[in-house]
Amino acid sequence: MIANDLLKGTLRTIVLKLLFNNGRMYGYEITKKVEELSEGKIKLTFGALYPVLHKLEAEGHIKIDVEYIGKRVRKYYSLTEVGRSWSQQKVDEFFDFVNTLTYVLKPTPA
Amino acid sequence: MIATIIDNNMDRIKADLVNRGLTYDRLLDDILDHVCCMVEEQMVAGEDFELSYKHVLDTIGDKRLPEIQHQTLLLLNKNFQRMKKFTYLFGLTAALVAILGTFFKSMHWPGAGMLITAGIVLVIFVFLPLYFVINYREQAEKKNPLYAIVGYLTLASLLAGAIFKIQHWPGAGHIIEASLVILIIGFIPLYVVNVFQRAGKRKLSLPYIVMLLIGIAIVSLLYNVNMSKNQLDIYRNEAIKNESCVDNVQGRIAQFMSLVNDTAYADKKEVVAEIHIQAASLQVMVDEMKDGLLSFVNQAGVPIENVRYIDNRGAGRDAILNNGKGKKFAMVSREYKELLDELIKDPVTSSQIEDHLEFAGNVWSFEYSLHEIKKDPLMKNYYKLTDASKGIALSEYIAISTLLHNHK
Repeated sequence: MIANDLLKGTLRTIVLKLLFNNGRMYGYEITKKVEELSEGKIKLTFGALYPVLHKLEAEGHIKIDVEYIGKRVRKYYSLTEVGRSWSQQKVDEFFDFVNTLTYVLKPTPA
Repeated sequence: MIATIIDNNMDRIKADLVNRGLTYDRLLDDILDHVCCMVEEQMVAGEDFELSYKHVLDTIGDKRLPEIQHQTLLLLNKNFQRMKKFTYLFGLTAALVAILGTFFKSMHWPGAGMLITAGIVLVIFVFLPLYFVINYREQAEKKNPLYAIVGYLTLASLLAGAIFKIQHWPGAGHIIEASLVILIIGFIPLYVVNVFQRAGKRKLSLPYIVMLLIGIAIVSLLYNVNMSKNQLDIYRNEAIKNESCVDNVQGRIAQFMSLVNDTAYADKKEVVAEIHIQAASLQVMVDEMKDGLLSFVNQAGVPIENVRYIDNRGAGRDAILNNGKGKKFAMVSREYKELLDELIKDPVTSSQIEDHLEFAGNVWSFEYSLHEIKKDPLMKNYYKLTDASKGIALSEYIAISTLLHNHK
C-alpha cells in the first residue's frame, strides 16, 4: 500500500490522467481502474474521490454525462477542453517533480 | 437478474443513505451508484443481496457519509477556500514580521519591539480567530465549539504573555500564569476526553498540539532562559555608576585617612584603621569576584562598558558560588556590619549605615541571593557586586566621618 499522505497531492493528477486516457468514466470505474493499474497498491476510497471530482467539475475541468442504469443515475465524468490541456500540464508537472525527487533522493555513490 | 434485485431495493438503499446524513443530491447520485456497484460486485461473486448490502454498509460505517459530504461542500465553497488561503497567508506574514522583529532586536536596531508586537498582535487578533473558525467548520461531525474556544484562549494568552514579557509591560507574569491555568484545567482535559471518545478514529487535529507546544516553548524560553539585552544594559549602566561612586567615596576616605594621622585624632586612629582595613578587605573580595566573572567569559581587563557575553549564566556559579567566595563575603560583611553597629551609637547614622549594608543584613542578604546568583546572567551579578561595593564604601565613609566629627 502507498501511504495516504504521499497520495494526497497527486489524486487530482491521477483522476485527470485516467479521464484523459479513457475518455469518460464513472466513479466506481475510476476506483477500480486505479486499483488495477497500481496492482492493488493504491486503494482509492470513494470518500477521497468524490470531493475531488466535484471540485474539478466546479472548476470547469471536467463535465458530466448522465445515463440511467435501471432506476439509478450514473454520472460519467469526462474532460472539458480546458481540462484536457490542464491535465497534460499537471502530468508534466508531476513527472518533473518525480524526476527531481529521484535526483534528490538517489543514493550517493560510496 | 442481479440488476433487477438491486433495482427493486433502490428506494431502500437511497433511504438508508439519506438517513445516514447524505443530503446533497448531486453527491447522493454518485454514492448511490457507487454503493450499487459494490453490492453488484459481491453478488456476482456469489453472495445474496442482503449479505452483500450489509457488508457494503459496514465498510461505509455510520459517520463517513456526512464527513464526505461536508468535505465536498467545503471544497466547493469558494469563499471558504478563499478565507482559508487568506488565513494561512496572513499567518505566515504575521510570523515573518515577528521573526524580523526578533532579528532587529538581536541587531539592536530600532523598531524591533514594534515589529514583534505588531506580528504577535496580528496573530492573536486576526490569524488565530480565523484559524480556529476554519478548524471548527472543517469538523464534519457536529461539532463542539468548546475545543476551538479553549484552544484559542490558551494560545492567545500564551502569546500575549510572551509579548508583555518581551516589552517589559507590567502583568506579564499574571498573563502567563493565567494561560497555564487555562491550559491545565481547560485544554488538556478536553484533549484527553477527545482522545478517549474518539479512540481509533481521527483525533483532534495535530496542528492544535503543535501550535500549543510552540507556544509553550516560546514562553518557557522567555520565562527561564533569556533576560533581554535591554535589561542587562540597564544593569551595566547602573554598575558603571556604582563603580564611579565607589571611586569618589574612596577618594574622600583617603583624605580622612591622612587626617587621622594628625595627632589631634590620635584616640580615633585605631578604630578608624580597623574599619578601614575590614572595608578594604571586603572591597578586595568584591574585586576578585568581579574579575572572576569576567575571566569566566575571557573578558578579563576589558572595560566594563565593552564587556561581551553579559548574558552568560555560568559565570556566577563559577566565580561566586563554587569557590566559596560568595559565602565568605557574606560572612565577613556581616562581621563588618556588627563592627559598625558597635561603634556607631547615634540612631540616625546607624540607620543610614544599615541602609547601605542591607546586603549584609537578614532581609535582602547577599547570602540569601546566592541561589539566584547561579542562574542569573553575568551582568546582573556584576551589578549586585558593585552595589555591595558601593554600600561598603558609603557605610565606611559615614562611619569614619561620624567618628571624626564627634571627636572632642
